[in-house]
Amino acid sequence: MFFSTYLRRELRRRKRQSVLIALGLALGVGLVVTVAAASAGVKNAEAGVLSGLYGVGTDVTVTGPAIGTSCPSAPVSGVARPCITYGGTKPSKSEQTLQIGRNGGTQICQNARCVNAAGRTYERLTTPYQEPFSASAVAAVARLRDVTAATGVLTLVADTVSFQAKGAAAGDGSPSSGLAVGTFTVDGVPTGHTPVGPLAATTISSGHGFTAADADANVAVVDSGYAAASNLRTGSAITIRQVRFTVIGIVRQPQGSSPPDVYIPLARAQALGTATKNLGGSLTGDVNLIYVAAARAADIPAVQHEISRLLPHDIVTAAGSLASQVTGSLSDAAKLSSDLGRWVSALVLIAAFAVASLLTMAAVARRSAEFGTLKALGWRTRRIVVQVLGESAATGVAGAAAGIGLGFAGGAIIAAIAPTLSAIAPSSAIGSMHQMIQAGGTALGNQTVVVPLSPSVTTGVIVLAVILAMAGSLLAGAFGSWRIARLRPADALTIVA
Amino acid sequence: MYKLTGVTKLYHKGRRTIPAVTGLDLVIGDGEWLAVQGRTGSGKTTLLNLLGGLDRPTHGAIELDGTELAALPEPRLTALRARAIGFIFQTFNLIPTLTAAENIEAALVPLGISPARRRDRVTAALDAVGLADRATHLPAELSGGQQQRVAIARALVKDPTVVLADEPTGNLDEDTRDDIIALLEHLWRDRGLTLVLITHDTSLARRAQRTGVMNNGHLTIQPSSSPAHGAGQPNPVRHL
Repeated sequence: MFFSTYLRRELRRRKRQSVLIALGLALGVGLVVTVAAASAGVKNAEAGVLSGLYGVGTDVTVTGPAIGTSCPSAPVSGVARPCITYGGTKPSKSEQTLQIGRNGGTQICQNARCVNAAGRTYERLTTPYQEPFSASAVAAVARLRDVTAATGVLTLVADTVSFQAKGAAAGDGSPSSGLAVGTFTVDGVPTGHTPVGPLAATTISSGHGFTAADADANVAVVDSGYAAASNLRTGSAITIRQVRFTVIGIVRQPQGSSPPDVYIPLARAQALGTATKNLGGSLTGDVNLIYVAAARAADIPAVQHEISRLLPHDIVTAAGSLASQVTGSLSDAAKLSSDLGRWVSALVLIAAFAVASLLTMAAVARRSAEFGTLKALGWRTRRIVVQVLGESAATGVAGAAAGIGLGFAGGAIIAAIAPTLSAIAPSSAIGSMHQMIQAGGTALGNQTVVVPLSPSVTTGVIVLAVILAMAGSLLAGAFGSWRIARLRPADALTIVA
Repeated sequence: MYKLTGVTKLYHKGRRTIPAVTGLDLVIGDGEWLAVQGRTGSGKTTLLNLLGGLDRPTHGAIELDGTELAALPEPRLTALRARAIGFIFQTFNLIPTLTAAENIEAALVPLGISPARRRDRVTAALDAVGLADRATHLPAELSGGQQQRVAIARALVKDPTVVLADEPTGNLDEDTRDDIIALLEHLWRDRGLTLVLITHDTSLARRAQRTGVMNNGHLTIQPSSSPAHGAGQPNPVRHL
């Protein structure tokens, strides 16, 4: 009680100095919190980009070789990849094809029967530009040492061309007039629990996800953005390759890299899809993307190596190598907050500590007579030091609280005024036929992802702020205490006399 | 009882050596009132600091009730001051942020007494100096005489065996000075304290049992014919 009374009264007497010290500490701590919050926001943005590219928990991905209309003359993204030219074999009879009829009009042919395209829709569900491979590769990868999980996915693109009844009936011979072209991406995924995979990064916003019982069902889970654009909700129907699927759930996904619009059970995707390479080729038992989780981060290079040995013709990419390829203002911001931000924070903190120490030592010097009197009364040096440290600690607490407030304010200001950041990252496996054709059929290219910067003040940062402020104030108190310890009562009392 | 044997205190200022006290032999009996006079810079305050353990002699020995003060480590010396020695300063030396009661309580904090007992003793001390109604006043809200009364209460609240007073009336007007001295004398007589008082005031010094005069570090003791004399108090006189 006496301790706290003395402490309180003393701080009140030196209010201006106490406020100055607390403000100095608050400034230093606030800067540290702001930089840490900005760094955390940038890291979260980077993680969001990467998790969108990779999915949560994915360390390595395996894709089939790229398929293109021509092979690139130089490796793409610095990685030499196998390239198979598009062309393929003649499509099977059961597959829909578009043909120009004798009268010049467009026809849709299937099972050796052709009909006028007017008023009809041509649909195609194909692998975009990766060569598929057998799903047995998934099991082989899962058995590798240091692999904790492997999930095989069949990524497909659904292209639809709807012909207007009037344009085609007029027989104007133009296959492209009166067309409505649509594209959406479809991922065929295992319906049981999968610790890694595209759905691992999603959160259900409506309905529910797949269960093991849905393995052969015509059910779908839809991206929330796509659902909103297409006016879909739980219970709605969507058509994929003339098959009606019921929407059982809607998910929110990180917008890192063109996440699929629709998820359907893997077996249904394999049954409905066709390989781009030989249009009409069956995809039964095939996947074209494997998500792999390593046991530990340190095992990732070894896992990557083992998979490359197991599947020498396929493309094996680790999240880390992808992360290093992310450029753009997002990575610039990351460097800025990491390098410059830390240095500036450290300098301001050191300055704050120095000011606090000097002011505390000056205050102790002014109170020499008081401390000399206390020693004359029988106060041990230790007790006086504890009193001074208590005053410093109280100032530190005030500085920490103010610093955290300043940090939150700083983070809010950054969120309000910071420009939207962009990340240029290698594309994931998903892409539409249109993208592939526009890209000249090349393999993986780059795409720009726009991400907002949301600084986040974590509990760890708050704890760090408190520790820094207390460290600074106690350091100042320690300097003052050193002075007290050296104080001879007789000398101190002589000052008063 | 104090026993000083060949006590010398030297201060070093660069190359100069200044003797504040030189070869002092002195015995102060239990319950004795010794007044020490002398010009400024004669070593009076140094003597008081040595008696109170606030400073250590360069040579010689100072015993208090058989304990050699100079040989004590600092923590034990501090504990001795906390328990047995009360100080009264010319400038009162009250803590400006603490009330009268809290200033007195500060003297009891090192003794490990419970807060409730501390409060009781503080109340009694304030009563003894006639300031019961000023307990919650800060020093700035008290007159000089009242501040010195608080300082006296602070010195006496722990029931010391020795009170060392350095010019306790130096900053007070004449009327207040007389009140303070009367109070000190009353408390000395009432509690059987050993009182060593430094003063410039000859009339005050004459009220003590013995008077010493410091001159260039040397102390000359003169017996004093004072009202305190023959009042049942011990009077060990020792001439240098």
